[in-house]
Amino acid sequence: MSSQRERSRVLQSTRKIGELILEYFSKAWDAKAQGKPVAWITVFTPVELLRALDIYPIAPEHFGAMCSARGLALDYFQEAEKKGYSQNLCSYSRCGLGYVLSGMSGLMPPPDILVTFRNSCDVYVKWWQSLRMHLGTPLFVGEAPYVLTSDDLDNYVLDYVVKQLEQLVNMAEEKFGLKLDMDKLVEIVKLSDKASELWLETLKLRRFKPCPLGGRDSASDIFPLVVMQGTDEAVKFHEELLNEVKEKANKREGIIENEKFRLLFDGIWLWYAFDLIKYFEDRGAIFVYEPYSEAWAYRLDASKPLESIARKVLAMGLNLDIDLRIERFLESIKEYQIDGAVLFSNRSCKSWSAPQLVTADTLSKEFNVPYLLFEADMADPRQYAEAQIKNRIDAFLEVLGER
Amino acid sequence: MTIPSDIRDLYKNPRAILSQYKDSGAKAIGYTCSYVPEELIISAGLQQYRISNIGTSTSALTPSFVCPFASAVLENMFKLEDFFSGFVVAHTCDPMWRLYDILKKKTNKPLFLLRVPHNTDNELSLEFFKMELTRFKKFLEENFEVRIDDTALFSSIELCNENRNLLKNIYLSNNGDKYETGALDRFQLALASMWMPKPEVIAQIKALDFHNCRSDNNVRLHLNGTSVYDLDLIKIIEESGGFVASDDLCTGSRYFWSNVEKSNDPLSALAYRYLKRTPCPSHGPLEDRLEYLSFMTRGFNVQGVITFAEGFCDPILYDSVHIRNMLTKNGIPATLIDYENPTQEIARIKTRVEAFIESIGG
Repeated sequence: MSSQRERSRVLQSTRKIGELILEYFSKAWDAKAQGKPVAWITVFTPVELLRALDIYPIAPEHFGAMCSARGLALDYFQEAEKKGYSQNLCSYSRCGLGYVLSGMSGLMPPPDILVTFRNSCDVYVKWWQSLRMHLGTPLFVGEAPYVLTSDDLDNYVLDYVVKQLEQLVNMAEEKFGLKLDMDKLVEIVKLSDKASELWLETLKLRRFKPCPLGGRDSASDIFPLVVMQGTDEAVKFHEELLNEVKEKANKREGIIENEKFRLLFDGIWLWYAFDLIKYFEDRGAIFVYEPYSEAWAYRLDASKPLESIARKVLAMGLNLDIDLRIERFLESIKEYQIDGAVLFSNRSCKSWSAPQLVTADTLSKEFNVPYLLFEADMADPRQYAEAQIKNRIDAFLEVLGER
Repeated sequence: MTIPSDIRDLYKNPRAILSQYKDSGAKAIGYTCSYVPEELIISAGLQQYRISNIGTSTSALTPSFVCPFASAVLENMFKLEDFFSGFVVAHTCDPMWRLYDILKKKTNKPLFLLRVPHNTDNELSLEFFKMELTRFKKFLEENFEVRIDDTALFSSIELCNENRNLLKNIYLSNNGDKYETGALDRFQLALASMWMPKPEVIAQIKALDFHNCRSDNNVRLHLNGTSVYDLDLIKIIEESGGFVASDDLCTGSRYFWSNVEKSNDPLSALAYRYLKRTPCPSHGPLEDRLEYLSFMTRGFNVQGVITFAEGFCDPILYDSVHIRNMLTKNGIPATLIDYENPTQEIARIKTRVEAFIESIGG
């Protein structure tokens, strides 16, 4: 009975994600065998551009999340820590560095180029510099300055990012003898835009009561949007997902049967603790909006591919001014009829967590949205105080129940 | 305005000078980081004042795992808010960047975020940084109803260059294997330079005589890290038989090592100086930092390297692995000492410092 209930909370489409991820990593080894360059990227780098250059992008952050979800991360953490990387550093980076320091015999083929864009955090750069020191691989560091107002998406800030994209193309062409095919780039941008459109449409269906797509789905279903942008497979996955969610919405079928509380979740998910989502759901609480899952979708204009990609690199969630971020929070609270917010103060993601208290304060004082803020790590279970967190969830839901 | 009788004492209570600014009608601009060009603040007729982490605990507005230095700087900004006419924050690392977010929601004072490019080694970054400095200039002009012309800029550049020259000359008195100037004196002057009006600090430095160092047989050390305002950390090194011959702190040599070059275009010259200066661990290619460290350890005949790391300082914690690897290869002993509150942890830090100095023959 319990396993049936568990299954009912994950969409059929979501169940295919695990296979899709393994297949994606396996194809990276195939690409490597065929002599194609493999890029290790931080997420929110221009995947579309790399794909058009025939460079195969993989994201060690994914690898970290996956290892954590499957209980395989600890050995990598310990390997990195043994070599001097502090436990206070980002757990994704400790996992990725541990993988490198333990010989790279696993899912990720060794990189031919390291590409990062400093947009969501500065750790990306330090992590990628460390990888370069260990591997001696060419490194491209791009940067997307903090977007202070929407004007920055059109002024010298945008221009700065466009020119860096051109530099990345030049570097790839010089290092690997490749040539950027603009027609191919346009096609890839169209596919990427399509997948984003589908995902945004899917997310909008969470406005339905009961909500047809839960937190467990949204945490996993973003995978194709992260590294597979610009592929037919990503579009296909999101078409199927949208159809499934539409059908559920039409039938008024929710992820949980008795939906009492509709919640916003702010943060990256705790990959080793998916059961925490179930803990909420068992108590009638469902996540209906996360800035994190929405951040992966960005509409692109195929008539201006480079400019459009540059805007995407700039406008990723955490790189937008706090007022723009809070504005989106407030829109979503109305749009998704949210009863409360859960903010995950993530020890690994200081960039995300540092301003969370003032955000929560604004939500609570100015807009009367109750919130729960709890601390843990996204990938390192050693920082997870399960019983204490569950106690706080109980208290929070009690408060919501009394309103 | 009354200037402290001995500028070397100012570090003990840097906020004292803020009341003097307020009483005299001088408008103080609080800034957080050595990537902020003091020259622009001064050319607007405003008083530069770099906000430290001392005299306060961390802010309740940041999580416990965010750099305690950045958090304490934030707390000081709130505590001392009445003394300031505006704030300038630089995006260097994540916590410093996010101070801006928090301040934006909590202060009514004019606030500016200077977006400092990470890449210090290309023309695009220079162009971008010049645009940022232009925006900063406009911010100062609009908020303080002043006009910053080239003459004012050239004059403030000259003042700051003179200040840096003086600090660097004192610093260079210890090069090779010389023991001329104690580190405590050097750091006191660098800090005073961030807090005091430039003409006064220049005049007082010129009047001082430093050739009184009594550390002749101490172990020559290089101090690696970010910012050290709590000079007890320097004292304990000297008391433990160490001599800080060189450093790459932004409250030390990184603050004054390079000057603004003469140019007809002052904003370009400033952009060049501040981007190409000795990099912070958060900035530029790691190879540049390693090269600078090698240059310092060779130039000042250093026997060991101490890294002071604020707990949760990501840039230092990543770099320290590679710094240690490089120094080990070069046969230079190195140690990393981390802390969250140096005042409270001073005894533990001292034990670590003593053990390290002993281990290299001090």
